[in-house]
Amino acid sequence: MGKSIQRDQVTGHADEADGIEEYDNPLPDWWLGLFWFTIIFAIGYTLHYHFIAHRSPQKELAAELAAARVQWPEGVAGAAFVPTHELAEKGEAIFKTNCVPCHGEDLHGKIGPNLTDDVWIHGGRPDDIVRTITNGVQAKGMPTWGPILGPERVKEVAAYVISEHGK
Amino acid sequence: MPQTVETLAPARDAESLPPPPPVAPPVYDDAIVRLFFGATVLWAVVGMLAGATIALELAWWKANLGIPYLTFGRLRPLHTNAVIFAFAGNVCFTGIYYSLQRLLKVRMWSDTLSRFHFWGWQGIIVAAAITLPLGLTQSKEYAELIWPIDLAIAVVWVAFAANFFGTIAIRKVDHLYVAIWFYMSFVIAIPILHIVNNLAVPATMVRSYPVYAGMTDALVQWWYGHNAVGFFLTTPFLGLMYYFLPRAAERPVYSYRLSIVHFWSLVFLYIWVGPHHLLYSALPDWAQTLGMVFSLMLLAPSWGGMLNGLLTLRGAWDRVRTDPVLKFMVVAVSFYGMSTFEGPMMSIRAVNGLSHFTNWVIGHVHSGALGWVGMISFAVLYWLAPRLWDRPLARPGWATTHFWLATIGIVLYTVSMWAAGLTEGLTWRALDGAGQLKYASWVEIVAQLRPFYWLRFAGGTLYLLGAILMAVNFILTVRGARGGASAAPAKTAAEPALA
Ligand code: HEC
Ligand code: HEM
Ligand code: HEM
Repeated sequence: MGKSIQRDQVTGHADEADGIEEYDNPLPDWWLGLFWFTIIFAIGYTLHYHFIAHRSPQKELAAELAAARVQWPEGVAGAAFVPTHELAEKGEAIFKTNCVPCHGEDLHGKIGPNLTDDVWIHGGRPDDIVRTITNGVQAKGMPTWGPILGPERVKEVAAYVISEHGK
Repeated sequence: MPQTVETLAPARDAESLPPPPPVAPPVYDDAIVRLFFGATVLWAVVGMLAGATIALELAWWKANLGIPYLTFGRLRPLHTNAVIFAFAGNVCFTGIYYSLQRLLKVRMWSDTLSRFHFWGWQGIIVAAAITLPLGLTQSKEYAELIWPIDLAIAVVWVAFAANFFGTIAIRKVDHLYVAIWFYMSFVIAIPILHIVNNLAVPATMVRSYPVYAGMTDALVQWWYGHNAVGFFLTTPFLGLMYYFLPRAAERPVYSYRLSIVHFWSLVFLYIWVGPHHLLYSALPDWAQTLGMVFSLMLLAPSWGGMLNGLLTLRGAWDRVRTDPVLKFMVVAVSFYGMSTFEGPMMSIRAVNGLSHFTNWVIGHVHSGALGWVGMISFAVLYWLAPRLWDRPLARPGWATTHFWLATIGIVLYTVSMWAAGLTEGLTWRALDGAGQLKYASWVEIVAQLRPFYWLRFAGGTLYLLGAILMAVNFILTVRGARGGASAAPAKTAAEPALA
């Protein structure tokens, strides 16, 4: 840009603008630079996203899932459930935060049924209990814990429930 | 510029005018400006009181007292409608009715239409304040009002537009000052947005079905939603800035050229950015990209307005230290720059993945709403009050107190919401060593936000207190001279025409 523009020259419209004068100063260079930068970035990004890298949210998700499968191989989550004391110990805290309001501190039941007796509505085998906790019983008010706790912690809390049996 | 300084004197009574000049000076309708002024102050307090109430309810839900009409879900739309359409709307009308007549050197085209506009608009607000707590809503954000009220809005707006353009048609000057371009974009864009987004088939008096469904509905809604930000909370306020800032600073506008370039780029780009509210949704990817890149390109045009405001203050900075009006303006324009930097950043896909659905958005909203819209409105009101009632402000010191209350309030509000937003964004996505959600319990995350909610309530309360102080100050100002010796102010104040 030729720099012959004079600064602080008024346009002479003041009598038509309730006395407000206006200078006709040039656009600040850095401002113009910023504008051009965003325009060029916009074009570059669009071309890159859609036509060069062919990106999309679906692909982003697929890539994240693939990475997760490598980092946490399916085997761990899918392994058969064997309740142990270690799991039960970890499960106690999970039970205290999530289950006490309905099943009670001592598991003897409140809104939800007693979990220490021999009466099981949905089956008393370890896998049954894991399944009930994972899927919940929506119609009766037992939440679906699978997506909230994740398979690992469902197993821990199930182990805790089993360890409390008969108490 | 001797004329500039001369016009800064408050409007004089008809009696104290100098002998009539050869051409009769234009007689402006300032009574309508005073009406809109009063409505602005009233709705400012009401709207912000609703805001502070819902802020309290988020920190401590029992504040709803178990009364259904006061629950968060019903008061939230009441807050947004009151602050946007009642407070921001009325302050725009106040400033427009005042400045348009003076810029065009002519009285409003039709006093009847002006009155119809005023009473119609207040009626709409009252209808909103009744229906929303009753739970009558269309469930579209910022377009909650049910169809009969929507129709009334369209009719009242058309009356306003007719009066506005009628006044431009009979103007006594050739040149249209930049403030008027910005007003025009407001007057034209709002009815288009409003009508298109609210197209619906009425079923009963209070129920209707939108003509759009699914993704189309969402896209139309956010095309409307963001342009409500653009053409209700931005362009008319830039118009107010272009009129009131140079007048208060008594300085020429920095650059006419910049005003042309940033006006056209701003209004052109705004129309496309709606999809930045729908990133990572079912909206086609190309439309999401469009929303993102147009938002980025909106940065410079927005900053053009901020620059023209700040650079106009060159040579007036010493007065910023003493004049509360200029103080409000400087902070307003700075927050405008801040929120229009934050907005484009939040439009970037990766950033939006973190910020969307969190309190960060609420922080962003209020840095624009409290910082820009609120502060520039207060500046305009404080500048106008002595001129509209032809007497000095009753408590000038209070204006400065208001300024500090508001500024501290904004800082508390935005900082606490950024912190809350980041907490949410980061904890929602955090994974533990086994690849499971680290914070799986939603309730636990919400509980962590409570300190931030209390802080925001404190900030909002300060902001509200400032507004109440302002309202009392204006009441004292208006009452002050009524009991005084000076003659009752003329219904229509006249200013001498410029040589
Ligand atoms: C909102 C209340 C509520 C919460 C919280 C809750 N439950 Fe339940 N739960 C119930 C109800 C109600 C039932 C009974 C379902 C039925 O009748 O089919 C139930 C049933 C069960 C059963 C099956 C009992 C049987 O007899 O088959 C198990 C096991 C169980 N819950 C474990 C848990 C665990 C572990 C947690 C915490 C992670 C938990 N619940 C949290 C309400 C709840
Ligand atoms: C006393 C001052 C204010 C307080 C305490 C306040 C408080 C609040 C609260 C608590 C919410 C709900 C947030 C949520 O749902 O999590 C909200 C929403 C909102 N407020 Fe305010 N507010 C104030 C002033 C204003 C003003 C002056 C404006 C506009 C000019 C405004 C515009 C909005 C908007 C647009 C929303 C909706 C935001 C969204 O959906 O993302 N507020 N406000
Ligand atoms: C260049 C300017 C701006 C851009 C690009 C921009 C961008 C954005 C983005 C990306 C969001 C978040 C959308 C989401 O994730 O849901 C948002 C929300 C919002 N912004 Fe801005 N913003 C800008 C300026 C402003 C200003 C100045 C104001 C107020 C005066 C404002 C008011 C709002 C409101 C009210 C919302 C909340 C909408 C809702 O969800 O209810 N914005 N903006």
